Amino acid sequence: MIETHHLSKFYSRGLYALRDLTLTIDKAEFVFLTGPSGAGKSTFLRLLLLQERPSEGEIFVNGQNLATLKRSEIQEYRRGIGFVFQDFKLIASRTVLENISFVPEVLGVPPAQQRRRAFQVLKWVGLQHRMNAYPLDLSGGEQQRIAIARALVNDPVLVIADEPTGNLDPDLSLEIMNLFREINAGGTTVVVATHDRELIRLVGRRTITLDQGKMVEVG
Amino acid sequence: MRAFEYAFREGAASLWRSRGSSAFAVLAIALALVVLGSLLVVTWNAEQLLAQWASAAELSVFLHDDATSEQRGGIEDFIDKSGAASGREYVSKAEALARFKREFSELSALTTGFDDNPFPASIEVRLRSGADRDGRTDAMLKGLATLPGVADTRYDRDWLSRVGGGLQTVRSAGFALAVLMALAAAVTVATVVRLGLQGRHEELEIMELVGAPMAFIRGPFVAEGFLQGGVGAILAITALWLGFLIVAAWWGQDIRALLGGSTLRFLPVRLCAYLVAGGMAVGSAGGLIAARHAG
Repeated sequence: MIETHHLSKFYSRGLYALRDLTLTIDKAEFVFLTGPSGAGKSTFLRLLLLQERPSEGEIFVNGQNLATLKRSEIQEYRRGIGFVFQDFKLIASRTVLENISFVPEVLGVPPAQQRRRAFQVLKWVGLQHRMNAYPLDLSGGEQQRIAIARALVNDPVLVIADEPTGNLDPDLSLEIMNLFREINAGGTTVVVATHDRELIRLVGRRTITLDQGKMVEVG
Repeated sequence: MRAFEYAFREGAASLWRSRGSSAFAVLAIALALVVLGSLLVVTWNAEQLLAQWASAAELSVFLHDDATSEQRGGIEDFIDKSGAASGREYVSKAEALARFKREFSELSALTTGFDDNPFPASIEVRLRSGADRDGRTDAMLKGLATLPGVADTRYDRDWLSRVGGGLQTVRSAGFALAVLMALAAAVTVATVVRLGLQGRHEELEIMELVGAPMAFIRGPFVAEGFLQGGVGAILAITALWLGFLIVAAWWGQDIRALLGGSTLRFLPVRLCAYLVAGGMAVGSAGGLIAARHAG
């Protein structure tokens, strides 16, 4: 599913965010990326989302070399990815349901289909009763579940999450991780960046540890 | 189609959300179009008047006092066969004098004290429409100059050409001014739309991350500019119409007298439609400039 070969990202000579990373993540695998702040976890996810381009090396997703994708191909590629961020990135002026249906809406899906699919995933995360609420009226855990629902609305083959539990207490964090486990159980590849070792231990999946941009441990 | 629908829905919503700042852009467009529209009202009316004068323009052939009736017959025959005239009228010396006394009664004293009638006899020729353009009038004028009995010819075309030239200069200068104002309006639209863009950076970021097509990302900003342009244009036409009504109500009689009985007319629907289209084009251009910063 994901393969990198000697992948590096630097912002100026000598300042590497990622250095010589070679790894493989299989289809339908659930992988944790961990390491201290500045280890390169977010940079790796940004490269996966093509928010940035590699400085050196290659990164393949489903056999596509991301470094060579053209603009229109990037759009197409991103439609197959769901993303979840620590700060949720919900639109405050839209209701919960509108936040979720926003994705199919801007991808040109017919309105009836948008709402039906948005409601399905909202029900799946157990927040259908809050469909008309606004994000700021929800708790952190609820907001993150909405963000997860939004990530799933487009049936992605890959879900990536950058510190999805960073703003949540341990119980809620585990609840969110269980959602990711369920997503993965459905055959979707899941990559979660977190520095929460305890959470990783509780979920118990393959872990790639980065430090100062280098892969230091795979376990 | 869905992108189009989405762009206009979001563009209209954004226009309403930022109605305070959008008012500046709308006013800038309206102002540019009021300048252009006023110019069009003036030049369009002047053109109509000029065309009316041109169609009524007469060519006068003045005869020598000693021209014989055979010579006059030859001249009239030449005029009839030229294909340039739609009619002609012989004005004798006595009729010319009587006409002068009638039309310029306050100057009639000037005609006394002459031994002879100083006014020459003439033939007034009404020209066919189009005769000027295809050269028939010129050919007739040249031919007339060679005929015996012809003292002189007078044709109104020269001063009509000069007025037409002056009108063209006014139109060019006004058009240049309107283009400059339209550019300024486009920049204002771009600035206002870009302000709105800053407020929607979260939405834009999500749209980019989910792989939304460019038409969905940039379309709403172009649509917003388009709508600002449309509203500005409608405002401009309304202001022009009101201004026109006021001018017509206050100075209508004076203008009619000045124009020799013609009434001042407002722009035809076709030109109003062009103004609206122009406003929308300027607004869209501004929106497009701003949209380049989205996605």
